[in-house]
Amino acid sequence: MDAIRIPPPAELDGLDDEHFRQVVRAFLHAHYPEHLRNPPKRLHWSENKEWYHILAREGWLCPGWPREHGGLGLSPVKQIILSEEYERHGVARTNDHGIVMLGPLVIQFGTEAQKRHFLPKILTGEHVWCQGYSEPNAGSDLAALRTEAVPDGDHYVVNGQKIWTTLAMDANWIFLLVRTDREAKKQEGISFLLVDMATPGITVRPIINLEMHDEFCEVFFDNVRVPRENLVGQLNRGWDMAKALLGFERIFIGAPRQSAYALSRLKLLAERMGVSDDPAFRDSYARLRLELEDLKALFGTHVAKLRRGESLGPDVSMLKVIQTELFQKITDTMLDIGGENGGLLEPMEGNRDLNIGGLYIQARPATIYGGSNEIQRNILSKNVLGLPG
Amino acid sequence: MSAAAPDDADRLESIRMIRDSAAAVAPPGGDLRRVRDLRFTGPGYDPAVLRGIGELGWIGLRVPEEAGGAGLGMGEMCALAEQLGAGLVPEPLIHAALSAALLAAAGERALLARVLSGDALVLTAWQERADTLDAPASPDGARRFLPMAGGAEAFLVPVREGGGIALYAQPAAGADLVLERTQDGGSFGTLRPALSGATRIADDVGAVLPGLLDDAALATAATLLGGMERAFAMTLDYLKTRQQFGKIIGTFQALQHRAADLAMQIALTRASVESAAAALDAGAAGDARRAAVSRAKVRATEASMLVTRGCIQLHGGIGYTDQYDVGLYLRKAMVVSGQFGGAALHRRRFMAAAPEVDE
Ligand SMILES: Cc1cc2nc3c(=O)[nH]c(=O)nc-3n(C[C@H](O)[C@H](O)[C@H](O)COP(=O)(O)OP(=O)(O)OC[C@H]3O[C@@H](n4cnc5c(N)ncnc54)[C@H](O)[C@@H]3O)c2cc1C
Repeated sequence: MDAIRIPPPAELDGLDDEHFRQVVRAFLHAHYPEHLRNPPKRLHWSENKEWYHILAREGWLCPGWPREHGGLGLSPVKQIILSEEYERHGVARTNDHGIVMLGPLVIQFGTEAQKRHFLPKILTGEHVWCQGYSEPNAGSDLAALRTEAVPDGDHYVVNGQKIWTTLAMDANWIFLLVRTDREAKKQEGISFLLVDMATPGITVRPIINLEMHDEFCEVFFDNVRVPRENLVGQLNRGWDMAKALLGFERIFIGAPRQSAYALSRLKLLAERMGVSDDPAFRDSYARLRLELEDLKALFGTHVAKLRRGESLGPDVSMLKVIQTELFQKITDTMLDIGGENGGLLEPMEGNRDLNIGGLYIQARPATIYGGSNEIQRNILSKNVLGLPG
Repeated sequence: MSAAAPDDADRLESIRMIRDSAAAVAPPGGDLRRVRDLRFTGPGYDPAVLRGIGELGWIGLRVPEEAGGAGLGMGEMCALAEQLGAGLVPEPLIHAALSAALLAAAGERALLARVLSGDALVLTAWQERADTLDAPASPDGARRFLPMAGGAEAFLVPVREGGGIALYAQPAAGADLVLERTQDGGSFGTLRPALSGATRIADDVGAVLPGLLDDAALATAATLLGGMERAFAMTLDYLKTRQQFGKIIGTFQALQHRAADLAMQIALTRASVESAAAALDAGAAGDARRAAVSRAKVRATEASMLVTRGCIQLHGGIGYTDQYDVGLYLRKAMVVSGQFGGAALHRRRFMAAAPEVDE
């Protein structure tokens, strides 16, 4: 493994795929902090920033961004290989809202000044982002959001509340959907605003989730003054951009990452339980593996579209549904074969890397966040299949 | 095999009374404050409530009257377990009842009296690995998954000796016991038995142990039934109040169908559990008994997971918070559904016991 040379970022996309895979392995071997492998829960910034900074330093932080903006500009196949190897190695997820969502949005819709200001700060880890869309009464019906931004001189004054904001306690910037026109039709009075979380008037309150983890938050805004230049795109056109961004979120959640990791845990569990050779287990394992392979193929077609510069269609909802439900099916199977071990709070005795119950619980909200799977199916039936209603 | 629920009026009255009396421990209004307060603490249950349960006669519900029990049937036991499951009651009734039944069979009256009164929690350390109903083989092999073991006063340790299964009682004091926390806020203990410090209380419980494990499996199915039903009721309420898109979300057909699907699983579980209890009370033995129990446990194990996770989904984000009660039911099902055999094990057992479809 040590024999493999790790070429500079700009050369990565030019490697042949198998060679690239070896390079990723060598890269992780050389750089990934051992103590962060297979974290049982999503890590906070204080724990994962070490890895974020390593990726930043090596230029590996943003695999999907174009090279001119500091990304790796990787082909779809290579992005899949990268994520497979990350999963295989047990790489922790970073605070990636800036990388996965805000960055692509600014690249697509931001002004030159915004690109120059915000993109480099994501690349260095100076800005850690969180996503402030959902509100207590605006979840699936996101366009019902009521957090309001009212112009006042050079500023907007923001009042309202966001909820379920993942890792808001770690973030120093938040991207918001806010109401800027109360009279317009609900989708037409929404704007996209970038807010420095150090601004007076912002309160963050963690919510404990089913994993007993403080992973999401409520965020309150009380007369928060935000400079006008922090508006992205046109006033009252935030909804269209948010929809475009949801495409990125869906393709991110639809990536085979979670399922691939879960399947590797299922395999490990089967070995521990001594059922690897059991015909019934082998059949259900084969089903899950085949579904994962097909998901990878479908994912590849969407990534290829992005790479050709096309925008994602509503059919990207398929990826989100298929991936999250596969993730759940795999963890359901883990619970089936793990017996009483599935009820344990902490990783299974003798194997720190195998937390059946934790993974089972983590899989539950995947069909809720990023647009619930019911909403994705509504989109598919109306906007892809053209069914009336 | 599929006997219906009892139609005899006395039995129905007896079962109704048990249900009503359960309100003493599992508040019917669904107040889970006590349950929440006990999570991830000391032994994970309240010894005073266990004594209360003893006073109500529940630990000895199935123990013959001449041994100090109430001598009631599986119909009553399942009705009770169901209510306690609905209230997420952490006191380990089923496990205490298993030990009481074994002590009664062994004729060990002094310890039995303390178990029946709820003064002592005695757990039966019968399980050597996950997902099994097999009686243990070795004298010193670790015994796993002992619920709330931190509160136990003693363990009953079945050991294969010669052709039978001898029963030892080992005090908890000084025992090699390791606790692991569970998703519901309780714990599983692993005991390394030390027979040198134990008392041999019966030469052979091999004839009764499998049947008692079956009873526990069926009562566990009833616990799961109670839990899934309560979680579903909470969810129905939520579907009738939460609004999105200017409508009550319960008006969306996708959710209506999903709710209908879950309701069908609950109905199947109830039918399966109640008919199994009736079959046992009617004296089903051997294969017929095993088939009835396994059928109920398969259904309850699978339906409880399906229903509780469906309930989270139907709630959206709020369902994924620790503060909201519906998640407690999911996490309880994660701990309980695997106890006394998982679905695959009971499917195999069912097919072995009932290889042909009834005509
Ligand atoms: C772990 C987690 C992390 C999250 N992180 C973030 C974040 O960082 N930032 C952020 O802004 N938000 C975040 N969210 C919020 C998430 O986007 C919302 O939870 C989601 O949009 C659902 O909204 P809701 O929770 O209000 O549920 P509701 O919209 O109230 O939905 C309740 C149920 O009704 C169903 N439903 C609603 N409308 C329809 C319909 N028309 N047809 C059929 N079924 C319907 C839903 O599918 C669901 O089953 C997160 C959520 C979770 C669980």
